[in-house]
Amino acid sequence: MEHIYAQLAEILELEQLTADVVLAECEYWDSLTVLSIIAMLGASYGVHLTATEVRGMTSAGDLVAAVQHRREQ
Amino acid sequence: MSAVSETAFDNPLSLHARRILVTGAASGIGRATCTLLSQLRARVVAVDVDEAGLEGLQKDLAGEGHARSCFDLEDVERIPTWMTEVALAGGPIFGVVHAAGLPCVRPLRLLTPEVYRKVLLLNTEAALALARGFQKKAVGDPRGGSIVFISSVMALVGAPGAAAYSLSKAALHGLARSLAVELAPVKIRVNCIAPGFVRTPMFERMAAQWDNVELNRVEQAHPLGLGAPADVANGVVFLLADTGRWITGSVLTLDGGYSAQ
Repeated sequence: MEHIYAQLAEILELEQLTADVVLAECEYWDSLTVLSIIAMLGASYGVHLTATEVRGMTSAGDLVAAVQHRREQ
Repeated sequence: MSAVSETAFDNPLSLHARRILVTGAASGIGRATCTLLSQLRARVVAVDVDEAGLEGLQKDLAGEGHARSCFDLEDVERIPTWMTEVALAGGPIFGVVHAAGLPCVRPLRLLTPEVYRKVLLLNTEAALALARGFQKKAVGDPRGGSIVFISSVMALVGAPGAAAYSLSKAALHGLARSLAVELAPVKIRVNCIAPGFVRTPMFERMAAQWDNVELNRVEQAHPLGLGAPADVANGVVFLLADTGRWITGSVLTLDGGYSAQ
């Protein structure tokens, strides 16, 4: 999980991503980006979220916490 | 059971004793094709990387003389040699159906060479390698044969995020047309089927990521509704059998009206 912020930053085309960044305020936050995030989370972490679930996350920290939670289940 | 004659004259879809190699055989369109081929008395060579899926397919197959091969088509350089081994083990091959495929939904800005080359490798390069293997004298049926590539409506129309997938499937159309001309003298026909969205396990995995709005949009884009794997299998056997004997270099669109709008 140590690289997850870097992986999300790459998809969102940000130099750096911190937990408090609001996802909906990112320039590239759209439906294709959401699908790309879902694909990355599935391939890298074996976590399968839906587009509705990802869109429901407010911050990058919320998203990472959801991934961690799902992996612990 | 009555002794019904199934000569080619009686039933132009009969593929009696003809050996057909099908990739992506463990699920979806590949699996439905294998099942229908066996009902038409073909001898199926089922190919997939999913060994358990291949084993599960066996119970669906009618008749005898079928074979299965757990082979990774991403090893494209080995495909012709492997096909020779398959032919030596069970007899010459009359038809090849390339149903294995890799989906890809990525925005252009994230389409790195690593991503799109992986899609092209399985969807397109493997198709070319299968054709190379099939035209070898040690592999193909001396009476001729038929190749069917499963492409996609995404080769005919565009969609956001579909660039790599569209590229890989549209390339199959060009490949089929040139091979159709090149291989006609040896009586090998080459065609594509371009399906719309079909309810396969691959589609269900993709749709599970969508919200209801996106799912409804995709369903409503098909005037006849989403397809079933058997709908595509019907087209495949039509092109493989004598019903397709004057068809080569063509693309058969089976999309429930998706591309008609």
